[in-house]
Amino acid sequence: MTDLLRIEDLSAGYGPLAVLHSVSMSVRRGERIGIVGLNGHGKSTLLRAIAGLTGWQSGSISLDGVEIGGKRSNGPGRYTHRIVRMGLALMPQGDALFHGLTVADHLDSGAFSPRAWRERKRRRERVLAVFPPLAKLLSQPVGKLSGGERRMVSLGRGLMDDSRLLLIDEPSLGLAPKISRALIDALMRIDLEDGAMVIAEQNLSLLQGKVTRLVGLHAGKLKGGAMTQDSALTPHTQHRHP
Amino acid sequence: MDPYYLALTTITLASIYGLLAIGISIIWSSLGMINMAQGFTFAVSGYGAWLVAQNVSHSGVAVLAGGVLMGALAGAAIGAIAFIPLYDKPNFPLRSLIATLAISTLGGQCLLWLFGPRVKALPKIFGYGGFHIGTAVASREKVGSIICSAALLLVTLAWMKRSRRGLEIRAMMQNPEGAALVGVGLRSTAMAVMVVTGAMAGLAAVLLSQNYFVSPYSGTTPLIKGMVVALAGGLGSVSGALIAAVLVGLIEAVTAVSLGGQYVLITQFLFIIAVLLVRPRGIAGMIEHSRE
Repeated sequence: MTDLLRIEDLSAGYGPLAVLHSVSMSVRRGERIGIVGLNGHGKSTLLRAIAGLTGWQSGSISLDGVEIGGKRSNGPGRYTHRIVRMGLALMPQGDALFHGLTVADHLDSGAFSPRAWRERKRRRERVLAVFPPLAKLLSQPVGKLSGGERRMVSLGRGLMDDSRLLLIDEPSLGLAPKISRALIDALMRIDLEDGAMVIAEQNLSLLQGKVTRLVGLHAGKLKGGAMTQDSALTPHTQHRHP
Repeated sequence: MDPYYLALTTITLASIYGLLAIGISIIWSSLGMINMAQGFTFAVSGYGAWLVAQNVSHSGVAVLAGGVLMGALAGAAIGAIAFIPLYDKPNFPLRSLIATLAISTLGGQCLLWLFGPRVKALPKIFGYGGFHIGTAVASREKVGSIICSAALLLVTLAWMKRSRRGLEIRAMMQNPEGAALVGVGLRSTAMAVMVVTGAMAGLAAVLLSQNYFVSPYSGTTPLIKGMVVALAGGLGSVSGALIAAVLVGLIEAVTAVSLGGQYVLITQFLFIIAVLLVRPRGIAGMIEHSRE
């Protein structure tokens, strides 16, 4: 079986700035991968490049064997909706929510395929089972929610369709430690079936022992364990992020 | 001043300006584009309705359909020329402003060239006569205008509330990147917005042309009034545009009755200056979050 996601020689950035320098990694079905690294070392850019949201990129990204990166220069976001419809869900930093819309509208907006849209009521229930606090907030505009609640809306929105690859950028950002841990636990409970999950996180201790593999990202380069043939967490990454 | 007459005129004007202003407002917040060609859409729709009246049928339904269809077509054309090639280029807001302004000027000249400078009159699609409401006479034309625009507005708002495409437009109005992340194609959604708002402008054109003539630049004044209403209401807010449309309509009706029609634009501009001094983001600018 092919890897769900395979990145080869990916460089990406914004304008004159190169953030990622020929990164290669792969993700197998059923894996939960943690990408750890300090702020500004390219974690978000890596996830955004997969969704086609960087200013420019070169190299190859294939999702389930289909090339979604390519060498073309693409204006940010031009191809994102097509990549998303192929089964990718990015829950970005800052959540990218629609502040005037209600929680229910947000969840519905994540149901983009005709089938998910028809079943949206049932799927909403499924998301509420993962994030129970949202049940009481369905008719609230998202602009009025707390940071933790917004994160749940952003994550829940990404779970409404049948996305195979879930990319989650800094789930703990700006949240109290207790709420962060609860969120990570909720993410670990999500049934991946034949999909996979990639979590970018600054706080290594939140992911340690919970994910399949940990990959370090430093100065735009991946450190160890990035390709699937390597084994799990290498000592190298552990030392870098105590 | 007869209060019934004032109320009736206010609502009639508000419904027509509301159609234009909501279009301008939705285009701004979902596409990030100030559509200076909305006035051209208005004028070309008037000609569309006139052509139908000349060549096909004088019936109200046919004339209205002609205007609305022509408006939708013009909207699609503006989207294809000013949005699709430009939206992912740097400086898009300025470029699209210039592009739509160019379409408006060029389009007006084309209309002048095609139809000549003589103004055209549309048939009275609602017929003559009227009903008594209180002490005023409500002409069929006013009642018809109110019903038609209210119907189109309600259908559009319900569609935006209930359908997947409507949700996509509302999402795009709030956060284009977030919208792309839930599989919303910005280009196809933008074209849907342009078609719907073009149809609104087309309906407004037919309704307003019951009182005014159709001419190559007949869209300029409605464009200005639509902009005033959209700005006063707070760009991106549909409810704000509706409130502002009623206020602007009231000001126009009061000014026309007490001072004379030539002072209407002056009082309207004084009104928008006053609103923007007190609330820089418009009447509803603080209530609803929207693109800033």
